[in-house]
Amino acid sequence: MRRLPFDYAARNLGRSPLRLSISVVGSVLVVVLAISAYAFVRGMDRSLVGSGSPNNVILLGAGSEESIERSEISTSVASQVQATIPGLKSQAGQAYVSPEVHAALAVSIEKDAEPIGQAVFRGVTPAAFSVHPQVRMIEGRTPQTGADELLVGQLASARLGLSGDRLAVGQQLWIDDRPFTIVGRFAAPNTVMNAEVWVPLTSIQTLTRREGISCVVLTLGDAEFADVDLFVKSRVDLELAAIMETEYYDQLSAFYQPVKMMVWITALLIGAGGLLGGLNTMYAAFASRIREVGTLQSLGYSRRAIVISFLQESLLAAATGAVLGSLISLALLDGISIRFSMGAFGLLVDAPTIGFGIAIGLLLGVIGSIPPALRCLRLPIAEALKAN
Amino acid sequence: MAMIECRQLSKTYRKGASIIKPLDSLDLDVEQGSFLALMGPSGSGKTTLLNLIAGIDQPTSGSLTIAGQNIAALSRSKLASWRAKHVGYVFQLYNLVPVLTAYENVELPMLLHPLSRKQRHERVGTALSLVGLADRHDHYPRQLSGGQEQRVAIARAIVTDPQIIVADEPTGDLDKPSAHAVMSLLVRLNQELGKTLIMVTHDAATAEHAGLTLHLDKGQLVEQSVTAAFSGETATTHADEGGDA
Repeated sequence: MRRLPFDYAARNLGRSPLRLSISVVGSVLVVVLAISAYAFVRGMDRSLVGSGSPNNVILLGAGSEESIERSEISTSVASQVQATIPGLKSQAGQAYVSPEVHAALAVSIEKDAEPIGQAVFRGVTPAAFSVHPQVRMIEGRTPQTGADELLVGQLASARLGLSGDRLAVGQQLWIDDRPFTIVGRFAAPNTVMNAEVWVPLTSIQTLTRREGISCVVLTLGDAEFADVDLFVKSRVDLELAAIMETEYYDQLSAFYQPVKMMVWITALLIGAGGLLGGLNTMYAAFASRIREVGTLQSLGYSRRAIVISFLQESLLAAATGAVLGSLISLALLDGISIRFSMGAFGLLVDAPTIGFGIAIGLLLGVIGSIPPALRCLRLPIAEALKAN
Repeated sequence: MAMIECRQLSKTYRKGASIIKPLDSLDLDVEQGSFLALMGPSGSGKTTLLNLIAGIDQPTSGSLTIAGQNIAALSRSKLASWRAKHVGYVFQLYNLVPVLTAYENVELPMLLHPLSRKQRHERVGTALSLVGLADRHDHYPRQLSGGQEQRVAIARAIVTDPQIIVADEPTGDLDKPSAHAVMSLLVRLNQELGKTLIMVTHDAATAEHAGLTLHLDKGQLVEQSVTAAFSGETATTHADEGGDA
């Protein structure tokens, strides 16, 4: 089969600048939308999945396996674990065992002011930096034990809807009418911790008037999960449950599945609208060329050659839109912080996301051109040659 | 053996509840190198006959043998290949592709043949020279007059060196000088290059350029006339009404 020259398809795009603009803008919108949806889902997944370390185990209250915030266990669990389970990872004699309190607390930026929102707080000891290697200080210092000082994650300001300056080192946040001074900032890219506020464990215990802790996070060294599980089962009095940290965040990811589905459904519906618009444009573009199509067939070009030419034309417009849409997405969407109950995460516009957007754009070009092309070729040649 | 042989050639189609028969059991032989004009009122079947001979329509019944091949039996894709090799079509409204230059329009049917770029270039140049438009090769159709467009269309029709050229009202949309130029060109193609030419026209003066004029009505051949300027038999009809021409 001999094909029509590519130039023919390319130049046909220039026949109606308005129609070309509509096709390209339609493609841009659908691609940006597809990239947004994919970047949202990937960003959320990355944030949740990246929060768990494969060697960490969380010990939390039995029955609270789905939410650390609801968990309450004895503060002594940390020392008992350290003393009982051999082979936990350690450095300079310090086992990687981190007692933690997780709580969502209302935050104000001034004394007696209305809270601006809830931040996800984590009460920690210095061991937290050992069991969560994703966390690294980027500014300031760590809080002193017992002091009303705190660390803020990179995306904490996004979680609270504040500008980055407002959570700079030296600023204060008010929690339950107590001022806490920001003494440092940390980064924990692609984890929920990146949007958290970390305070000394004892300070948050005082603040929340609790004696216990939410959980103990420990890092397995030579020990295995079975060793931790055995400890949990042998100390029924402590009412503990053990779960791999990765599994915990996988469960959280599954919990947000309906949200992700809603995002996809919304994108699909708007994308379908874009597709119908594209189809309409292509129907009009091809319908105005029925006589020309008849002429090409009379010259000896096969129907397939003409469909391929139409496909090239449509793909060219769609690809232009896809590239523009991808560039716009990269410029405007990448890294945008989205708040959710676990904190905040950044939209992830990376190579797979761009690839996905471009694939959707090209698919739109294919689906948008085949039916109009076939309709255009439906007429017998003799009839097509009579068309106005 | 005639170049074109139509035997009991019929074409029918349904339009709503009624059946239309634009061509009814037509018998016709056309010798190679003939210049045939088809005349008749609207709906007489002349364009249908032209389209059947050009291979862009297929008969409902009967046989249509061109250069020894019954094209009525060809599949759609084989018929497309056959058209590319054997027929050049000249349309009333020229039907040039507006986004292609004169050169590219003429080159278009050449792309269906296994020729190098250089070979295509030579043949397109020859065809454009033949119609007197070599200097307009880079013009787009919108930059040409109607007569020039039709001459480009003729160059496109002959560039593949087809055995048959069909023309549907080739001067129907042209002023008199342009029409004269186009007809002179078609006559040259017939007389100097020996192309078999079949032309539909409503205009008796235009038909006089042809060697033989066939008059059709209601899908049947009703009359034929030989132009005085031409001698020798060029077509034979086998319809009941007609005898040997």
